[in-house]
Order: sequence, then C-alpha cells, then structure tokens
Amino acid sequence: MARADRPILLVEDNPDDEELTLMSLRDAGIKNPIHVARDGVDALAWLEAREPAALPAVVLLDLGLPRLDGFEVLARLRARAETREVAVVVLTSSDVAADIARSYRLGVNSYVRKPVEFGEFAEAVRRLGLYWLVLNEPPQTTEVSHG
Amino acid sequence: MAERILVVDDSLTVRMDLGEAFDAAGHATELCASLAEARHALAGRLPALVVLDVVLPDGDGVELLGALRADPRTAAVPVILLSSESEVHDRIRGLERGADAYIAKPYDAAYLTSRVTELLRKERDRGHDRAMDRASVLVIDDSPTYRNALCAMLSDAGYAVLSAASGEEGLRRAVDERPDAVVVDGVMPDLDGPDVIRRIRLDPGLASTPCLLLTASEGAVVEVEALDAGADAYARKTDEPSIVLARVAALMRSSRESMRRGSSASLLGPKRILAVDDSPTFLDALATALGDDGYEVVKARSGEEALALLAHQSVDCILLDRVLPGLSGLATCQRMKDVAELRRVPLVMLTSLEEPEAMIESINAGADDHVVKSGDFGIVRARVRAQLRRKQFEDEHFRVRDALTRKEAEAAAARAAAEARQVLLDELAQKNAALARHSAELERLNAELETFAYSVSHDLRQPLRGMDGFSKVLLERHQDGLDAQARHYLGRISAGAQRMSQLIDGLLALSRVSRQPLARRPVKLDELARKVVARLMDGDPARAVDVVIAPDLRAQADPALVESVLENLLGNAWKFTARRARASIEVGAEPGSGTPTFFVRDNGAGFDMAYAKKLFGPFQRMHAAADFEGTGIGLATVQRVVHRHGGRIWADSAPDRGATFYFTLDVPEAEHGAR
Repeated sequence: MARADRPILLVEDNPDDEELTLMSLRDAGIKNPIHVARDGVDALAWLEAREPAALPAVVLLDLGLPRLDGFEVLARLRARAETREVAVVVLTSSDVAADIARSYRLGVNSYVRKPVEFGEFAEAVRRLGLYWLVLNEPPQTTEVSHG
Repeated sequence: MAERILVVDDSLTVRMDLGEAFDAAGHATELCASLAEARHALAGRLPALVVLDVVLPDGDGVELLGALRADPRTAAVPVILLSSESEVHDRIRGLERGADAYIAKPYDAAYLTSRVTELLRKERDRGHDRAMDRASVLVIDDSPTYRNALCAMLSDAGYAVLSAASGEEGLRRAVDERPDAVVVDGVMPDLDGPDVIRRIRLDPGLASTPCLLLTASEGAVVEVEALDAGADAYARKTDEPSIVLARVAALMRSSRESMRRGSSASLLGPKRILAVDDSPTFLDALATALGDDGYEVVKARSGEEALALLAHQSVDCILLDRVLPGLSGLATCQRMKDVAELRRVPLVMLTSLEEPEAMIESINAGADDHVVKSGDFGIVRARVRAQLRRKQFEDEHFRVRDALTRKEAEAAAARAAAEARQVLLDELAQKNAALARHSAELERLNAELETFAYSVSHDLRQPLRGMDGFSKVLLERHQDGLDAQARHYLGRISAGAQRMSQLIDGLLALSRVSRQPLARRPVKLDELARKVVARLMDGDPARAVDVVIAPDLRAQADPALVESVLENLLGNAWKFTARRARASIEVGAEPGSGTPTFFVRDNGAGFDMAYAKKLFGPFQRMHAAADFEGTGIGLATVQRVVHRHGGRIWADSAPDRGATFYFTLDVPEAEHGAR
C-alpha cells in the first residue's frame, strides 16, 4: 500500500481533543485516512484485524483511556510480532517523568506532550504528521511476517 | 614480711617488757632508747607501728610524732604514745599531734598489746597491702594540664599518686585502690566534683575517705556547696600549689584523727573509760581498780577537762563525780548528753550522797546510772561492766539495724531507678510508635500528593486545551460571523485558558520541589547562572542587558533545584528590568567566610518593602498584571528550594530602585554539629 494511503490510528477518548487533532492534521495537508478509537480495547481490536500491509503508518496514542489505558495498549502491541514494529507516538497531557520513562521502556517511538495553547498544539501535530508520514522510513513489511 | 613494731623508750625495763609482750603476741620488735636511734630506725624500712615514749633523753616524743606526721612517707604509720604524763592536756596535745592512742604509764602490758594488735589490724583492713610506704592520693580532673601538674607536685612531695580523667573513672579507681585521700575537680563533663564526693560517701568502703574539692570559683557559696556535698575541704585551683599540698596533708591527718575518735568501732576491743573526779586519790584508786579489769582509764579532774578530752577522743563509758569544782557534775552530765555523739555513751554518776533526790536529779540530768562512792569499787566495776554490756548489745543492734536500713534503702533506690528507667523506656517506646505513625501518615500524604499532582497535570490541562483551541478556531476560521467585540472576547477566553495553564505548571513545579529527594553535589552557581542567562537571551534577543556574574560561586546543593532557583530569580530580574534603558543584572556572593550568601541583583522596577512579607507566598504579586505578567508562584518555589537546603532567603528593594535577593544554601557553620 502506498504511504499516502496508509491509515493513521488516533486513540483518543476526549471529543474535544479528537476534534482539534483531526483539524490540525487536515490543516497540515495530511490526507491519509484516520481511524479514531475511543478506548484501548477498540484500538487493539482494530489493529489486530488489520492486514500487515494495511497496518497504520503511525499510531497517535493518548495515555488516559477508559477500559485499557495507553500503557497497556502499547505493551500488547509490542508483544505481538505483527505489530511490534508499528510506529507509536504517545500524545498526552502528562509531562510526568515516570510516564515518559515507562513509555520508552515499553517501546514507544516518540513521546509528545500536548500543549494547551492551540497554536503550539497545531504546530506539534503538523510536525508529527510530516515526520512520520513523509520523512520517516517505516520498516519494510512482508506478506507473511514471522515472529 | 613480719610486722615490726618500733618501741622507743629510754627505760630498759619498759623496752624489755614490751619486747617480750609483743614477741609473745607474734610481732617482731625493734627497740630504741632515744629519739636519735628512733630516727635512724625510721630512715630505713618503715615499722608497722611505733610505741613512743614522750619524755626522752634527747627530746620530746611528741615533737618526733609531729615530724612523722608532716612527712608523707611516714604520715600513715600508727603511733601509740606512752607517757607518765597523764594530764588531760598532755593527752590532748599528743592526740592533736597525730597519735593514734595515748596510753598512760603505768600501763597494763596486756592492754597495750591488745591495742597494738587492734591498730595493726585496722591498718591492714584499710587496704594497705603494699609495704608501709607512701600515702596515696587520687586526683580526678578532666584537664590534662592541671591534672599532670598536680600529680607531679604530689609525687614530688612523696605521695603515691593515682589519677583519673573523669568522674566515672575516678570512682572506679577509688573503689579498686582505696586511696587515702581524693582530690577532685569541681567542674567536669560527666560527673562533677560534688557528685563524685556524694557517691564516695554512699559507698560503705569509701565513706570515710577524705575528699578535697578543687574549684575555680571564689566565695562562700562555693565553700557551702563543697561542704554540702560532703567534701572535707576545698581549695581553689588558682591558689598557690603549696596551699593545695598543705590541705591534702591536713586531710590525711584529720582522717586519722577521726578514725581514732571512732575507735570504739571494734566491739571487741579494749574499752576506754573516762573517770572524772576532783580528788586525785580517789581517781587513782578508781583507775587502778578499773585497770585491773582490763580497761584503759583516762583521768580528768574537772568537768571542763573531761569535755576538752572528749572533743579529741571517744570513750566507752564515763564515770562522773557529782561534786566537781567549776562546772558541776550535773551540768557536765547535761553538756555531755547534749552532744549527739556522746549521748549514747553510758554515763555513771558517782556521789557520796545517798539520797533518793540525788539519784533522781542525776537520772533527770541524763545519767544512765548512779552509784554511791565507797572504798569498795566492786559495785562501780559491776555497774561499768553492765553498762558496757548494754552498750555493746545496743551497738550491735544499731549496727544490724543500720545495715538492714541501708540495704533496704539501697534496694528501694535500685527499685526506684529501675522503675524510672522503665517509665523512660515506655515513654520512648510510645514516642517511637507515634513517630512511626507520623512517618506512615507522611508517606501516605506524599503518595496522595503524587496522585493529585498527576491528575492535575493530566486532567486539568485537557479542558484548557479545548477552551483555547476552540476559541482560536473561531477566531481564525469563523471571522465572518464575528464582530470586533466578539473577537475580543474570544481572545480573552483564550488568554484565560493559557494563564490557567501557566498557573498549573507553576503549582506542579512547586509541589515537585517539595517531594523530590535532595541530591547534594558540588555545584558552581556561576556556570548555572550563565546557562540561564543564555536561555533568557535566546528567548529575547532584542534586549540588551548588562549581566555580571562573579566567578567561582561554589555550593553543595542539588543542581537541578538550584538551576530552577536561578531561573526564577534571573527570570524575574530580566522581566522587571524590561523598562530600563540600561538594564543590569548581577549575580555574586557577599564577602565573608563561612556559609556563603549569594545574591541576584537588578536595577529594575523594585517593589515596596512594606509588602515584603507577602513576597514569597504563593500567588502573591507585587505588581498589577498589566505592568508585569507573572504567576506569582515562582518565588514560593524558590523559597521552598532554599529552605529544603537548610538555607534562608530574603530580599531588599525600594520602588524604582531595583531589587536584591539574598539566599544561602546551607545551615550556618555554627550549627553544623547539630545536624
């Protein structure tokens, strides 16, 4: 699948943040399909159902989620061979050192704090999008992936 | 080593008689006929005891005695004066000079031998295991200089010297070595002098050890305190050393005297009877009769003489004539019974009158018994025997009772001490438990604070983002529907959200500073200040600020926390000098040694010191928001960091005259030990 077609998974339970994030991605000129999961369980279910070639280009993951929190999602993603190499960016309000450390320990690719000020927020999302969808080279995926 | 008795008497008969008697009792003897011979004998190995005649061809025996007592080498040798001079004043003189006993001639050999044996035994019991060499003094003083000086002086004077550097050590040595005297410093770190003396007085084995208290202070108060504690004498450290030496010598002498005075200590020893009668014939006859019974008889011819003698020597029984010149028999009896130490000595009144009134008067005056004089001393002797027996039983009874009482008192004291200790232990346990509870509570509160801080950072920021975001979206993308006023209000909503975000950031920073552990390392504040200033300049390149940072500002502190202090203080200085044409900021340390006082100074807007108290309170601001924006939390954070380091922070300023913030990062040098 061409990169421009690969989806973005946004895992975010808050409707305001969801709207602002989507708005910012669009403003940045990113046209990839975006799937929104509102809790950890849905996010994992959606991911597990994807074909390897249709895995998202990047997962934007909030930490504070109902049912299964962001850390759990991350841990399980990394535990499955199929999803071990999916790019995950934690996008969260928390700047607590323990959260940052834990995320990296669990294998996150990047940790971004959501600014309160909208201008900064939009800028951060834009840069994220451009980096992960355009600049970064994702790992090559094969039809049949072995663990 | 057989104990050798030195006999000094110019009469050959006496020498041979005593030589035989002592020999039979198992003692070795050396016989001298004159003072010169005696001195020669004493220059060599000291005898265990000296029997010394008073009237000698080459001098006065009492003078030799005086010399013996003044020389520390011989000061402790027991001396029995043997004299045909049996006037009371001669006796008193001899006793004052330091004789252990004064026996009148003609003497009873058996009596004399038993006195000798008794004295020798007493000397041995006092712990003189070593050969009769020098008297020993224990010096207790925590000052090594003074202690060594005093020990050297005493040693030069011929004493055996023991020393201790503390009260506890001193007591241990006193118990182990039983010194002849103790010299103790008044002020010492653990037990002070009076305490040491009190403890000595409580110990049955040491109770009679003479104690000299050394004080550095002047005045009667000191003397009273010293005597109160049971010291026998005191001397000032500032006195001439020879004075201290003389006091020690006097102590030694008087201790021997008081031992003599209490010589009825032995219940089984020979008894001494004081016979008081103005008729010399009667007195001699009585003395002879009683002497045959084995008593030592001391003769006095008047009440005054009797009282004078009793001041120097104790007796076991008093025979008192009712009719005396000067002080009457009754008055003498009353005087004697008035003295606490004499009250229990049996007193038998002798009289020529056989009237019941006389008897009653005598008993009322305090006499224990009343006997009519007669040529036959049988009754007197019987009464004396009876009184002595009674006294002996009483003494034994009292001794046993005292021992029991003391044991009870000791047991009670031990119990009380154990109880007190238990109370303290219980209190300690309680306090520890309370402390543990408080610690647990603090841990719990800290954990709660963590959770709170976490949810604040996460949950409060999100709605603010929404507020700011949608306001701005409205502003940017829906301008058509909005008039100027609407746009203005949206701007204010957005500003409000951002401000609240800053406040949250400030609060979180403040709370973090309290919770995170302090890691002290060597820190160079000048380097940290340069970093902070560089960041400030990066953020605002247009501004021209003169910054002067003193070199080499060192401290032991947490680097991250100190950096936040400098960020806050320098950030404020940067902000408040914004309106100055030539802004200047200085970072340095106040001159002086000890804990450094750092400062950050600016020439900016300053503030009114009247409000200085509010300066460090959270949310307190010195200026209207319109003039200088700020959350007002920064200084609260700075203060908390400084306090966590144990330091202080304060400010000095005046409106429009800039401000200086001073701070330290450690407790003052003087308090280091307490930490």
